Amino acid sequence: MFSLAWKSVRQRPARFLATLLAALLGAGVTMTFNSLHDTAAGAGVDDTSAETLTTAASVVGGYGTLLVFFAIASTLTVNVRQRGEEIALLRSTGATPAQIKRMVVGESVVVATAGMLLAVGPAMLGGRALFGMFQDSGQVGQDVDFAFGPIALSSGFAITLLAAVGAAFLAVRRATRALAGGRAPRGRLRVLGGAAALVLGAGSVAATFSMDATEPALMAAPAYGAILLAVGFAVFSPHLLRLLLGWFARPLARLGGAGAYLAVHNMRQRAAQLAGVLMPLILFTGVAAATLSMQTVENDALAASGLTKSVDDKNLETLNLTVVGIIAAFACLMLINSLYAATSYRTQEFGRQRLAGSTPRQVLATVGFEGLFLTLTGTFFGTLAGLAGTLAFTSVRTDTALPDQVYALWLGVLAVGAAATLLTCLGTTRRTLRTPAVAAVAVAG
Amino acid sequence: MFGKRNRGARAGRAGHPEALRLVKVSKRYGSGAGGGPQDNSVTALDEVTLSLPAGSFTAIMGPSGSGKSTLLQCAAGLDRPDSGLVMVDGEEMTGGSEAELTKFRRSRIGFVFQQYNLLPTLTVAQNTTLPLRLAGRRIDRARTEQVLAQVGLGDRLGHRPDQLSGGQRQRVAIARALVTEPRVVFADEPTGALDMRSAREVLRLLQQAVRVHGRTVVMVTHDPVAASYADSVVFLADGRLAGQLQSPSVDAVAERLAHLGDLAQGGARSPYPAAPGHPAPGTATDHTIRLGA
Repeated sequence: MFSLAWKSVRQRPARFLATLLAALLGAGVTMTFNSLHDTAAGAGVDDTSAETLTTAASVVGGYGTLLVFFAIASTLTVNVRQRGEEIALLRSTGATPAQIKRMVVGESVVVATAGMLLAVGPAMLGGRALFGMFQDSGQVGQDVDFAFGPIALSSGFAITLLAAVGAAFLAVRRATRALAGGRAPRGRLRVLGGAAALVLGAGSVAATFSMDATEPALMAAPAYGAILLAVGFAVFSPHLLRLLLGWFARPLARLGGAGAYLAVHNMRQRAAQLAGVLMPLILFTGVAAATLSMQTVENDALAASGLTKSVDDKNLETLNLTVVGIIAAFACLMLINSLYAATSYRTQEFGRQRLAGSTPRQVLATVGFEGLFLTLTGTFFGTLAGLAGTLAFTSVRTDTALPDQVYALWLGVLAVGAAATLLTCLGTTRRTLRTPAVAAVAVAG
Repeated sequence: MFGKRNRGARAGRAGHPEALRLVKVSKRYGSGAGGGPQDNSVTALDEVTLSLPAGSFTAIMGPSGSGKSTLLQCAAGLDRPDSGLVMVDGEEMTGGSEAELTKFRRSRIGFVFQQYNLLPTLTVAQNTTLPLRLAGRRIDRARTEQVLAQVGLGDRLGHRPDQLSGGQRQRVAIARALVTEPRVVFADEPTGALDMRSAREVLRLLQQAVRVHGRTVVMVTHDPVAASYADSVVFLADGRLAGQLQSPSVDAVAERLAHLGDLAQGGARSPYPAAPGHPAPGTATDHTIRLGA
């Protein structure tokens, strides 16, 4: 089965692009940060420098692995689902489920290996740049030399490979279950997890108020609170979407003509599936907006108190921004990937719509309305989560209102989320519209 | 906007005596179209000329690859012929953009497909009124219910397609095709996925649309039983017209079809003489068929 996996990757490399990107990003981030371990282990590194480097390297370790895992799993799930026909064909020609599993895992390993190899170069540059920032801020001694060695390489390879294999197992299990006709489990655990995330998030945000304004870890509680709230909203996103649709569906459909009418009905029926798009969007907005604005508030507070930034503060800022950047990049990748998959999956539906008398423009209007509504829903709940953390932090840290830059930052984050959502769904739809309607309807889907 | 709407409404009532007219319609598929030395193209339609009067029910039959689906798609504006003229209700279908063709079809043409092509997220009533909504026309609830009652689905307005049987879905598709009061309804293998009883109901509904409501129906089928419901059958072989039958019986259609199949398999590229002045057996002169009226 491995030779089949190799052939299938070689014949159609394009469809593995998303998985490759996820692996590349994952391996790159892991190796970049772990090269700090290599550097710290070098000969003649003083204790403070070594400690700073080790702490920074460990920050990304835990959840970085999780992110890589989820990103690869998300792209592979889409990949396997789109090849339902091919997999059904393999089954009917006598492939056992175990053989299909081996094929998908084999493909995943091939693609992940390619991603890791490609990531080595950028990771060396990225690691050097990160190291440079620490050296410039004075946290690391000038006589320390950057090293990119066995720890970076082995951890990058191990984490990415592990994530790729695990994600492939997860994806193929989901797909074969769907093929066997079984419904996805209702997910009581999921509801419990979502509720727990909301409660813990609210608690974490509330805990901010019991802390001292000058405490160095003050930002941690509201930041984690915001992330947890965003996760909770993401879990309940189908229900939230239905709720908003209940309020706004009628006026929207009246306002937007046939396109909006179809969009409203499509979203009502597909609220559960749209969670795959809303989840990364809520996370992206919540995490990015909360961290960026809290950092702005912190900078302002420091400037107002007349203190210059200490090395620790600078370090914290660097790490904050790096972490947000990584989470945002992964969330964006997952958003674009799942949205692309969900839209290209609808070729047949768009064909039917055109045969019923819809012009290509009306199909685009339908998809555009759906994208707009999803963007508004996702960014609204992301903003809610982010705002909870930011307001709590601001009220404890300073007595002033939110600084003006926060609004600009927020708009920027919303714009990125909206652009990713709308460009992906409209661009994908445009591509499917090139197929004549009669042929689009005939496509198995 | 209003002008267009009015014109659409008029087209639904008054009408040209000739519902559909094809003049020398040709269509080739594949690379090298144009007749060069490396011509790999396949002629799907070869100068087909056809005229169907308003209020007729015509079946188009032929062996696989005879071009019957291409004929239907070219006539219905779903595909663009390489050359030739298509006129629906006396108006020429000009090969503009997809949007222009769609707007042309909206008021003149209705479709029924083998795979129903209903939208899964809409209810029966919403699917039926969708063409009106897309065209920006007023939706008359009573009229919708009346049309759905005619096809026997008056009690299924709120159901979704996945809650219906194949026969019921096809009846929704027929209601959707009729609700815009089109000049011509094109049906592409409408009974291809149905059991015999549902097929009979669907064919009776199409027949009723012609006899009672004066619509024009053009149906592509490979089933002689389905074809026997039509007023006349037009046969196609190798992209050319190959005869017709008036008031067809199942046996007569089957026999003619078997004969066509033999000829097509016999290796002859064109079973009927191409030279003008030599009408093929059963074919009106110069591949032109004019039916009754």
